Amino acid sequence: MTAAASAATTTTRRFGLGPMERHNLRWGLLFISPWLFGFVALSIFPIVYTFYLSLTRYSGIRAPVLVGLANYQRIASDPLFLKSAYNTLYYTALAVPVGVVMAMILAIAMNQKVREVAIYRAILYLPSILPVFAISLIFIYLLNPAYGMVNGLLGMVGLPSPNWLGDPAFSRIALVMIAQLGAGQWALVFLAGLRGIPIELYESADIDGAGPWTKFRHITLPLMTPVILYDIIIGLSLGLQVFTSAFILTGGGGGRGGGAGPDNSLLTYVYYLYKQAFQFGQMGYAAALSVVMFVVSLILAGAVFRWARGWVFYEAEEA
Amino acid sequence: MASTEIARTSAGSSAVAAAQPNRRTGRAILSGSVLPRIVLIAGCALFALPFYFMFVSAVKTTAEATQTPPTFFPQTFAWDNFQAAVNYIPFGLYAINSVVITVGATLGAVLSNTAIAYGFSRIHWPGRNFLFYVCLATVFLPYPVVLVALFDIFGKLPSFGIQGAQSWVDTFLPLIVPAFFGNPFYVFLMRQFMLGIPRDLSDAAKVDGASEIQTFWRVILPLTRPAVVVVAILAAVAAWNEFLLPLLYLQSQDKYPLAVGLAFYTSQHDVAYNLLMAASTLIVLPIVIVFLFAQRFFIEGITVGGVKG
Amino acid sequence: MNRSVRRSRWSLLAVFAITVAACGGAASPAPSTGGGAASPSASAATSPSTEASASASPEGSTVTGASCQSGATEVKFWTSHTPPDSDALKNIVDAFNQANPDICVKMTIVPGSETDIAKLLTSIRGGVAPDVYMADRFTVPQRAAEGVLDDITNETQGLNSQYLDFAWAETQFQGKTYALPFDTDARALWYNKDLITKAGADPSVLDMSKGPATIDQVVAIADKVSKKDSSGNYDVLGWIPGGPGPGGQPGAFDQGWHYTWGFTFGGNFADLQQCKVTPTDPGVVAGFQFLYDWAKDHDPKAVSRWVASNLPTPQTPASQNPLWTGKLAMTISGDWRIAEQKKYAPNGDYDFTFIPVPKAGDQSATWAGGWSMALIPNSKARDQAIKFMKYIAGPDGQRVYTKESTHLPTIKDLLTDSSLFDPQHAKFLDLLKVAKNRPPLSVGAAYWDALTSAQGSVEANSKQPMDALQEVQDSVQSQLDAAGC
Repeated sequence: MTAAASAATTTTRRFGLGPMERHNLRWGLLFISPWLFGFVALSIFPIVYTFYLSLTRYSGIRAPVLVGLANYQRIASDPLFLKSAYNTLYYTALAVPVGVVMAMILAIAMNQKVREVAIYRAILYLPSILPVFAISLIFIYLLNPAYGMVNGLLGMVGLPSPNWLGDPAFSRIALVMIAQLGAGQWALVFLAGLRGIPIELYESADIDGAGPWTKFRHITLPLMTPVILYDIIIGLSLGLQVFTSAFILTGGGGGRGGGAGPDNSLLTYVYYLYKQAFQFGQMGYAAALSVVMFVVSLILAGAVFRWARGWVFYEAEEA
Repeated sequence: MASTEIARTSAGSSAVAAAQPNRRTGRAILSGSVLPRIVLIAGCALFALPFYFMFVSAVKTTAEATQTPPTFFPQTFAWDNFQAAVNYIPFGLYAINSVVITVGATLGAVLSNTAIAYGFSRIHWPGRNFLFYVCLATVFLPYPVVLVALFDIFGKLPSFGIQGAQSWVDTFLPLIVPAFFGNPFYVFLMRQFMLGIPRDLSDAAKVDGASEIQTFWRVILPLTRPAVVVVAILAAVAAWNEFLLPLLYLQSQDKYPLAVGLAFYTSQHDVAYNLLMAASTLIVLPIVIVFLFAQRFFIEGITVGGVKG
Repeated sequence: MNRSVRRSRWSLLAVFAITVAACGGAASPAPSTGGGAASPSASAATSPSTEASASASPEGSTVTGASCQSGATEVKFWTSHTPPDSDALKNIVDAFNQANPDICVKMTIVPGSETDIAKLLTSIRGGVAPDVYMADRFTVPQRAAEGVLDDITNETQGLNSQYLDFAWAETQFQGKTYALPFDTDARALWYNKDLITKAGADPSVLDMSKGPATIDQVVAIADKVSKKDSSGNYDVLGWIPGGPGPGGQPGAFDQGWHYTWGFTFGGNFADLQQCKVTPTDPGVVAGFQFLYDWAKDHDPKAVSRWVASNLPTPQTPASQNPLWTGKLAMTISGDWRIAEQKKYAPNGDYDFTFIPVPKAGDQSATWAGGWSMALIPNSKARDQAIKFMKYIAGPDGQRVYTKESTHLPTIKDLLTDSSLFDPQHAKFLDLLKVAKNRPPLSVGAAYWDALTSAQGSVEANSKQPMDALQEVQDSVQSQLDAAGC
């Protein structure tokens, strides 16, 4: 803490800040100091360490052997790298927008004059607190092609019943479906956003004779854009790292199988990374995969922020 | 920007106002609530399906639980599955471990994230926004390999004999202490909420001679309570359900939490399916209860941005 | 006001005191693990590494060592086996502790699987590793290359002659010994006589005394048994030679692995002299071609659907195995099904025979796997640990294990000890004599994995055998070049 404070002082002098700014900088850094420390120990150090490992051949036990850029060259010619990256992007590109729409619909429904809303709120949230382990196991049964409840429901409305996990055309969609169980939690976030929209806006729109769609399009949607952006960013980070559900749905990648979904369709990037690190003893290669993933993730996040500038209503920060 | 203006006028009470249901929809026509109900009931039916399946499987006999095709409704109720599930693993011991880890991690999350969010929202200092984006960027760190680096750190930290271990490995410390250094998700939620509190309140406190710490503690923190509850619940659920980290860090079986204990119901060629589901039901029960009591805070406590911000 | 302000300052200081004390050197939390904040998939950060293939009932996992005397040297022993196999292990450990009062072996069941060693790896790094680890034998060269296992060449001089040659070979890496062989097994064609007879076919051509049947004969019988329902889905299947595996995932439905069919068609999977993997060997390609053609003839989507419906997970209870529920007439499986049949289909008329051959007169092939006892580096009780390994992997331990677990021993002398085998079990001894084994490679796990996903693609008819196997060659050979033989 003293280090942070003195660092703060030197910085202020250098930038010639007034006493108020100096005071603010000192206190600002003091308050965020737990994160700063954690950031250095838990983020900076692992990033640097991982980057170093990515330049080595390393099993996790013996001393790492420097191999230069060999791991990166190997990535360039590794078909499973492309496959897993494709699967992950496919999943993310599907799961994030579907999640936003689901959450928005549920939130708007909950925001209407529905007296028993507390019940819906609770039920919709429940799956969010089930351990992913249990959820995924349950889904293996729900998705059973012949006997599962999902296909039973589809059959009732006359839809075909897919072989969800055994057919590469459907396995990734099944993964997206499971992720949607988190929509209840997001619906609450959206609902909080909806409740924060000032009534006055709707009232004046009513006076102007605006219909429900116009109100949604010109009041609700624009004012919800920061929430949507938040959902997209978090969804992006979770989507790019999707692993557990794929891991369990494919039987754990243990001794029985080794495959990750039909035609490797459930081999997500982190799944592949995990296999390299903990099953094949290729920690150096896994580190290189991590570095590539981190860089690509940041570029994607940056792109989303840039794109969002065109449609997000930014709040002016107070305080 | 317009929204900000409006927000500012009503912001003083926004945190409270948000809790009141549906004020603006007060004049919605009756038919307006039919469609939402259909959507919600259909949604709930789908969302309750896994839960229903878990509970129903938990009370089936072993023969029925493993039967194909599965029964939609249990033919006989085997309530003693819960008893059997509890006896199958050292349930009480694991429950205590889970509680200790969860309480520690939740405490850490609440203490650290409120302070960090305050620094990121209520004080203006150069570089603040830059560091905040850096903080957010860390959610994109791929965790499996970061895990390796962390394991090396924890394996070298002295534990001073806590839980009879030589290093932090095989203690609860790696599961609790990191919570004290903030989490970008929670920092973000808290920060957005604090941004929604009018600046005038801090200014008034400062005019009264309150220091930054006093302002944080006496003015801002009480107003932030809904967000604190949200972060506490999110952190508690995450700690309660965490699987991989305790599995890797805890080497002695008597230190396992319940989430890891669940794995004992599955063996390489078999699974005690009904007992696993009975145990899962028991494990989620506490968080369900906590959520039911605290759920109204979820609406108040979540502020992502925009209007209130 | 003043007073409460002061109090609050103290509380805040306490907060920082805690955080700073914790700063002592720890790291922050969930930024790296993904947090678990905003959605349930956030708790995907709680990625289970192993549960699906995980562990055991705690009775099995309880630490043994009650019979230990105080002051005895502790030896930690880890296995991923679960009951009933782990019960047999426990009995051996107890007997050893009884006979060696100065040593106390503590056995722990850890979640894990043949190839997933996340837990072992981290325990070694954290300095809390076991002394003795029960390792899948075909992964020993790989783990040795990684430095996960310790060299025990000096302590095990002269022991090689008591073990089966292939089992011993699997414990070697670059001329050094890294484990002692434990059990083994063998694969055969299991068949349900009742189902076959009911379908109007004659199961007697499959009798072991007639030698191996041809693949065509078996397919012909199977096709008579297979039945589809009105919507074109299989209700009963006659046979699945290979996969898909449980849940419709790539892999073997039971034991019809890539290795099984590659060996059956005379394939070689590696050239150990040249340090090359040879997945495009003509025999291996022929085996994959058979799987491709069979799938094509039987509608790969329908087969996958049937598997996913009737064997949804690797942990599907044995009582629900389609072989025992009368939904499958034939499958390639192992000796461990003997005990299972007695339990789950005691009234069924089952038998097993040689794995069928491509042409009449061909020699039937099978392969053997099994486990081993390995030493983890930097053991604090090295001598005691090796003493225990020699006991459990020696005649004393293997005798108990063979009898109690119905696996096969790797000690030559025990193979002729008729008291250890009932007549059915003894037939597998004959199979073992001609059994092949997977090439001991430092990339064994990666090779298995790559072959498995190739098998999945070929059986889904989404890749031609040669293309799929060429991909295996490309990805695995480069790893082998780096790791060495």
